[in-house]
Amino acid sequence: MITVGDQKLDWHEGITISEVLEKIDNTDLCAVVRLNGKLVSSPHFDTTVIPDQSEIDILPPVAGG
Amino acid sequence: MAQINLKEIKSIPYERAEIDKGYTDKSLHINLDSNDISIKSIDEKVKKRFIGGKGYDLWYLWNAVSGSTKWDDPENAICISSGPLGGTPGYPGGGKSIVTSISPLTSAPIDSNVGGYFGPYKKFSGFDLMEITGKADKEIVIFIDGIEQEIKLYEAGNLPSDSYELSESLTYHFDPDKPVNVSVVSAGPGAENTNFGCLNFTWFDTPRKIVRYKQAGRGGTGTVLADKKVKAIVARWGSVSMKTNNPADLEGVKKVTKMHAKEINELDPKQRRMATVGTTHIVPIMNDHDCLPVNNFQYGTHPEGKNVGEDVYDRIFDKGFDGCWKGCAVACAHMVKDFMPVSGPYKGKKVVVDGPEYETAAGCGSNLGIFDPFAVLEINFYCDAYGLDTISVGTAIGFVMECYERGLITDRHTGGMDLSFGNKINALELIHQMAEGKGFGAVVGKGIRQMKKIFAEEYGADSEMMEDIGMESKGLEFSEYITKESLAQQGGYGLALKGPQHDEAWLIFLDMVHNFMPTFEDKAEALHWFPMFRTWFSLCGLCKLPWNDIVPADNHETKEPAKVIKHVEWYADLFSSVTGRKVKPDDLLLMSEAVYNFQRIFNLKMGFGTRAHDTVPYRAVGPVTEEEYLSRQDRYDKDLTEKYSVDISGMDTSGKLAALREKREDQYEQLTDAVYERRGWTSDGIPTVETVKRLGLDFPEVLEVLKQNGVE
Repeated sequence: MITVGDQKLDWHEGITISEVLEKIDNTDLCAVVRLNGKLVSSPHFDTTVIPDQSEIDILPPVAGG
Repeated sequence: MAQINLKEIKSIPYERAEIDKGYTDKSLHINLDSNDISIKSIDEKVKKRFIGGKGYDLWYLWNAVSGSTKWDDPENAICISSGPLGGTPGYPGGGKSIVTSISPLTSAPIDSNVGGYFGPYKKFSGFDLMEITGKADKEIVIFIDGIEQEIKLYEAGNLPSDSYELSESLTYHFDPDKPVNVSVVSAGPGAENTNFGCLNFTWFDTPRKIVRYKQAGRGGTGTVLADKKVKAIVARWGSVSMKTNNPADLEGVKKVTKMHAKEINELDPKQRRMATVGTTHIVPIMNDHDCLPVNNFQYGTHPEGKNVGEDVYDRIFDKGFDGCWKGCAVACAHMVKDFMPVSGPYKGKKVVVDGPEYETAAGCGSNLGIFDPFAVLEINFYCDAYGLDTISVGTAIGFVMECYERGLITDRHTGGMDLSFGNKINALELIHQMAEGKGFGAVVGKGIRQMKKIFAEEYGADSEMMEDIGMESKGLEFSEYITKESLAQQGGYGLALKGPQHDEAWLIFLDMVHNFMPTFEDKAEALHWFPMFRTWFSLCGLCKLPWNDIVPADNHETKEPAKVIKHVEWYADLFSSVTGRKVKPDDLLLMSEAVYNFQRIFNLKMGFGTRAHDTVPYRAVGPVTEEEYLSRQDRYDKDLTEKYSVDISGMDTSGKLAALREKREDQYEQLTDAVYERRGWTSDGIPTVETVKRLGLDFPEVLEVLKQNGVE
């Protein structure tokens, strides 16, 4: 199981952040997530594999300093 | 702690104006030529048109100077205002001050938005704005005592020179029993000896029992204060509650404050973690997206980039409440305690470092090829203690390091110092020299624009190369983002009123990552809306961060998520509740648009404010060197072939570099045209008469400036 905000998604071996975001609405502007508290940026979404029982938070559009 | 020796030279009692709906409607004027202190009423028309904060600052500064006033002329003023919403405890980011003056770097108006308690304390003491003109004969301290209702001037003999020790000493001197009642504004030796001196604004951290600091960094306001021989400005005020600002609708203020603070408390831990790591979270994000300045903005990423970001500072920051205003839920002003510098006057002593924030970590870290988080801390500490703007310091040293590596300057010019990228010891040595105004540091402290001239005329360095790689526009050093792949952000920097600071517009991700504004018109619209809305925070005494750094959970479902419209509505509610002036979100933009255009015309009055001054160095637009091109060859080749339909077969890197430059420079000009049109300006970047009339700015003196520049 993967928790994304208030949604629960099924986990499978090798699932990536890109796959998870495809299952969530309105993630077009998502460039950064926190995976179990750690930042992961969009260039790494395809290659970052998610462990089971992970929590993902989608960060709002990056807004600068 | 240093012993304080102050000699009172002037004292006037005054009757404190009561706050009415966020305003005192009074201004405090101190002329140091004559030590004259006066209190004046603020005209209702000024209030309506300029709102407060930066708007008030600019109006009073406009009236203080002529078009020929230089930054170090006595008539140049330093204006400091809060704003009608400033001083609302618990409202996130609700305690800002805005400092404005004619800048030593740009010779035009500069503004800086800064935290700490000074702005609200000054307002509650009876003054929406304070204006300092003239120059003192000897170093002085200005004391605004809102509790005793007295303004005092002191001669300040033998005060500590660095801003940290000075501020701490003055805090305990003026209220030893309740240091939280005191906020100090001070510069430092770096401000005396460079053109980019900053101002430290303090707040007392009661749980930790220490004085904390925020910086009005940009454009050399500290240099102006030091030139006036003002050692410090001190405000003293007592307790603060929501009633202190005497809002028109107290319950309305409580309601919106509670909503905004609650949302931040709930969502910040899942979003940016500002209350834990501050803006250091931006470092790894920029590094991953090729936007972190590395080695003088040549590159956007580095394998060690994360070493100066949140992963490391999360472990180093002292845990506790770090709000630079009372009850702020964002609370991003983090600190490191018991840090021990390895150089300079504090070598081997334990100190507190306020920071670093993103700009310091990027500018004084990665941009210098320094990826040691402790070296960044030491640079941060000394810049603050000396009163130096970390952004200008980082960008200026980055320029010098590249000049050194390219042989444009040599050991002969640097006093024997190896200034290769990554040399943290010599970067620190330069900063110590800047503070003392000695050695090569004294040259660097003049800023990039003057360095380019000196290096060319005195050292024989290649001017064309320096124009390309010297990251300044309008004379101000760039803040710390790579803009090569975001045309909108090139405009965000180049078309900004005061110079390349990101507080007007930060559009890199919307543009570069999301391609959310594909046409020139889309970009121009963004370069209208965002600068206007961001300007509004500085009219009101607020911080921008709570607007769009922590956003509602359902924000992504809105039509334009980047605008965070729910928060814009909350800001309209807050403004209405405090001032009693019922406004809608669009009204906020109109407030800003008037002040924004006024500042543009102010630039014009000072001899700037036209298209010729809205340029950026080519490093901000595209690759200057073949190494830069090759570092992103796939992207640039694709741009040439797909975007610009250029046949690159048979072209060498040098040819492709030239072809890309021609296209990109042309794009910047097209963007400039589109933005000017959207803003209601002429093709030379001057507001039209129609625009100033629409905004109610058609005062005779404004129309006269336009007329002098051919706009009637």
